[in-house]
Amino acid sequence: MRGGSALLAGVLVAAWAAVYLITQVLVAPPLGVLPTLASGLVVSTVVVLGYPSALRGPRGGPLGGSAARARSWPPARRPRDPRGMRDGLTIAAAGRSMPLRNGLTPDAARRTAQLIRPLLGGDAIAITDTEQVLAFVGPGSDHHHVGGTLQTRVSRLALGKKRTVVVHARDGIGCPEPGCPLRTAVVAPLAVADRVVGTLKVYRVHDEPAPRVLVDDMASMLSLHLELAEMDRERHLASDAKLDALRAQINPHFLFNILNTIASKSRTDPDESRQLLLRLSDFFRYAVRQDGHFAEFSQEYFFVRTYVSLEQARFGDRLRVRYDLDPQVLTSRVPVLVIQPLVENAIKHGIADSVTGGTVHLRARVDPLTRTTSIRVSDDGAGMAPEVLDRLLAGKRPGTAGPQHSGVGLWNISQRLDSLFGDRYSFDVASTPGKGTTVDLQIPLR
Amino acid sequence: MDDDVDARHTPAEVDATFRTLRRVAVGYFVVFLLGVAAFPVLSLTLDWWSQARLVGGMSPGFLVAAFGLYLFFAVLGIAVSRLTSAVEHRMLDDTRDDGFPVTLEPPGEVP
Amino acid sequence: MTGPSALTLAAVLVLLTVVAVVMRPRGASTVDFYLAGQRVGVATNAWAICGDYFSAASFLGVAAAVYATGLDGAWYAVGFAAGFVPVLLFVAAPLRRFGEFSIPDFLGRRLGSEKVRLVAVGVVQLVILSYLVPQAVGSGITWELLVGSGLLGLSPYATGILVSTAVVTGLVAFGGMRGTTWTQAVQFLLLLGALVWLAATVLGEGFHYGDAVADLSTEPLVNPADDGGLATEQNALHPGDAAVFGQPGARYGGLGQFALIVTLAMGTAGLPHVMNRYFTSPTGAAARTTTVWVLCLAGVFYSLAVMLGTAAREIVPAAVADHPWLAELTVDGVLRVPEHALPVLGRIYGGDAGLGVVAAGALIAVMSTIAGLLLAAAASWGHDVYERHINPRATQRQAVLAGRITTLVTACAAACLGLALRPETFAAATPSIVATMVTWAFAVAGSALTPVFLLAIWWPRTTARGAVAGMITGMVVAVAMFTAGLSADGGLLRDALVTPTLVAAPLAAAVTVLVSRRTTPPPDVEKSWLIMHGTAADRHAERLARLVVAENRRRRAARRTRRARG
Repeated sequence: MRGGSALLAGVLVAAWAAVYLITQVLVAPPLGVLPTLASGLVVSTVVVLGYPSALRGPRGGPLGGSAARARSWPPARRPRDPRGMRDGLTIAAAGRSMPLRNGLTPDAARRTAQLIRPLLGGDAIAITDTEQVLAFVGPGSDHHHVGGTLQTRVSRLALGKKRTVVVHARDGIGCPEPGCPLRTAVVAPLAVADRVVGTLKVYRVHDEPAPRVLVDDMASMLSLHLELAEMDRERHLASDAKLDALRAQINPHFLFNILNTIASKSRTDPDESRQLLLRLSDFFRYAVRQDGHFAEFSQEYFFVRTYVSLEQARFGDRLRVRYDLDPQVLTSRVPVLVIQPLVENAIKHGIADSVTGGTVHLRARVDPLTRTTSIRVSDDGAGMAPEVLDRLLAGKRPGTAGPQHSGVGLWNISQRLDSLFGDRYSFDVASTPGKGTTVDLQIPLR
Repeated sequence: MDDDVDARHTPAEVDATFRTLRRVAVGYFVVFLLGVAAFPVLSLTLDWWSQARLVGGMSPGFLVAAFGLYLFFAVLGIAVSRLTSAVEHRMLDDTRDDGFPVTLEPPGEVP
Repeated sequence: MTGPSALTLAAVLVLLTVVAVVMRPRGASTVDFYLAGQRVGVATNAWAICGDYFSAASFLGVAAAVYATGLDGAWYAVGFAAGFVPVLLFVAAPLRRFGEFSIPDFLGRRLGSEKVRLVAVGVVQLVILSYLVPQAVGSGITWELLVGSGLLGLSPYATGILVSTAVVTGLVAFGGMRGTTWTQAVQFLLLLGALVWLAATVLGEGFHYGDAVADLSTEPLVNPADDGGLATEQNALHPGDAAVFGQPGARYGGLGQFALIVTLAMGTAGLPHVMNRYFTSPTGAAARTTTVWVLCLAGVFYSLAVMLGTAAREIVPAAVADHPWLAELTVDGVLRVPEHALPVLGRIYGGDAGLGVVAAGALIAVMSTIAGLLLAAAASWGHDVYERHINPRATQRQAVLAGRITTLVTACAAACLGLALRPETFAAATPSIVATMVTWAFAVAGSALTPVFLLAIWWPRTTARGAVAGMITGMVVAVAMFTAGLSADGGLLRDALVTPTLVAAPLAAAVTVLVSRRTTPPPDVEKSWLIMHGTAADRHAERLARLVVAENRRRRAARRTRRARG
């Protein structure tokens, strides 16, 4: 259960307890059953209505505390099974809670080995990568040191042949230590996309080796997890790269235009041009200095405000903007550099080409019960033809591309949202030529 | 520090803050009215409200009129004032970490 | 008059005068005179607001109302305290940020119209006058009880009114606002001290609040009747039954309670002397914090007042036997004038000195409120009318003089009205004459000023014509309903009529909205909005304050090193 729901449940229980205490225990005569129930219901309704309402305001806590959370990755990490490695665990359960999901590290390997030892019926379990032993659990761990180089011949055999090797005799294991209690072994390679990255070894102290099929299955399951971990890491790198590219990529046209505006105002209205310079420095500072994938909404809002005020200097009365925000949304965490590009798109495609100008609406709400943040950017400007919209969403430049820079495309945003939230977000763009464009974004509240 | 580096607000920013604060104020006002109106409603509909005896000897109604409502007002006031200040801070002031208005620094200082 | 009580009273008055004179601003400019230079700490300002706000109606009136009608009297306390919730929600910060001198000034500049300013001055005057009268009555009652004899052949009641009015008028006219801000704060602390002392004494003597309520609720509530005996109060909620101390219904039906609270709650936001205090906060945020302080202080103050009203009901009958002087004040153990509840408690437990303390508290409450009201009157006439319309080229000296003359005239008018009204003429109709009369001021303020005020702050489309129409509608409806209510005989109709805000305020708001929709709003609304709802000025003031503090610290450090060297 998420923190918010637990809090709500706790408050409800406390409310009913208080109602009971006040109407039944502390008072003589006690209140009748019906009025008590009614008052409890009224209190519950007030709590439930008040919980998501705007009145609770920004969720507490200083800004600093959440900075670490922004770095945590991936966002959808599953909670670790608290039951740990108890016996009688099913394979399915083991698969779900497999620590290797985060990659082949000594710590993850050790936990994995402890977890799967009872399942495989082995006396000792070892997990290695191609160079060294990452984990060894069971008898023999006195000389099969974690971190040591691969001592047994059989491991090298399995790594070389890329297939499972079964050893029935003590000699076959090839352990250099004479007093080693291990008698039989099954060694299965761990592979990520045809590339062998390590081995899973199941030893027994008696002559009957562990069932080969079982070890095979487990090895392929572990391989699957490693593959997923690898993909996660790549996706992470890719989205980091996208974000970095985004930060470096400030539309040169925008910069050119705003500097022109400032230059022309420096004579007529030095005071305002000074303000604009300040705002421009704010703009760059935020765009460049920000790190991490998430920021507090109020910071992104500050960025949007700064950007809009700069654009307003250029467009004058043609660009009108209306913000409509919940108090609660101000402290929610949103992906960085998503809202401003949406507003930029609305200005570029909706307002810039229109003679009479138009209004950009930014509306943001939080629903704590469903734990979603919804952000809507809409304009009443020119709108887009379906094919332009399709091209934008597909990542191509609109119109006859040429040198025109399209800023941060909708495609870029949806790609980043994909890598941040998987399928737990929704991103809808609707546009009617002549009526304007509406972008609806719903992301999990964090 | 320069004399006139006050970042001014644009009308749209102030309008947004104003709307949000108006929603907050009206919401709390409704809560306030409901809280106050609940008393006469209860004393009309529920005999228990004015006739039962709590531990101290007062009826629930008297207790609320003597202490509870003032507490309600104070809590309401503290909540709304904190909320309003937080909203104003986040919607009008820049929320950079240093909290000071930006000055035009030499380019070398900006990483 | 007894020695100790006279001594206590004299000591308090001397103390106040000294504080007012010592803290008197030197080289007073108009700004200094009216607004104390707009630099007043949050706590001091909160105390000063409390000093302005807690009048005779709060100190004597709430206890009296509880004494006379039990739980229904507590509604006055709840209403007075509730008044600051709308102020906090809607008024405090924007009003301060817009930064004018007074309510008429605010409305005049916001709506860009001199007509609005003048109409507002008229409404403000009416509110001030109807607030001053009960204060005068309260001081008359206190003098009657405390001194018992008049000067120069006047009745004790008249002497009380004249003396207190003269003293306060002198203080205001020659002390200026800085003096009064500080004196208001000191006065409030003394007032709170008196109340806490009394409450502590009563509790220390074995008074048990809960048991007292339970005990008093076992038998019907009785009050002195016209024929000299005692009459049982009828229950307004359950016709035919007798009213009981601890249960609602002694005075108000269900609607009456609610209407009273709405009247008091909406009225506070339109009280000129309280709102003028907000202009002395350094920033809008500070004005808000101040209001939260006031809310908490009001909670403490009124819960004590309600408790003491209950204590008087419980203790006085038993005390009649031991205290022969009580006989002439009571009928079968019930006080003839409920306002005497607190002074009598003070005398029972503290002897003559105790009576002196409570009487001083009452006079302080009266005087601090009168001072605030007179100052508001001076601000609205001197600043809004004289400086702007009668003599636009007035020097500072002339403007201050105009304010002082206004102070004198308003005070005299209030004293005359107070002399014309005798408390006994109303006692039967209302739980407490002082508390009830104060509701008139709240009703006018809440019906005429508050709706227009709120709309001007929170609705950009408000126009000058709309505001004028709204204020006049609210005022006329409130006064008309009230006059009709005085002649109506009991029941739901009367409840609604004597607390007209419930009807008049929505009506005034509706008229304002309707008329505003048909006229064009002032052109610089956007600019007003930036000032009123933006925080730029707040931040500027905060940074300035930080710089000043840093500079002072630097200077002090420099001085210290110099001294260390020398």
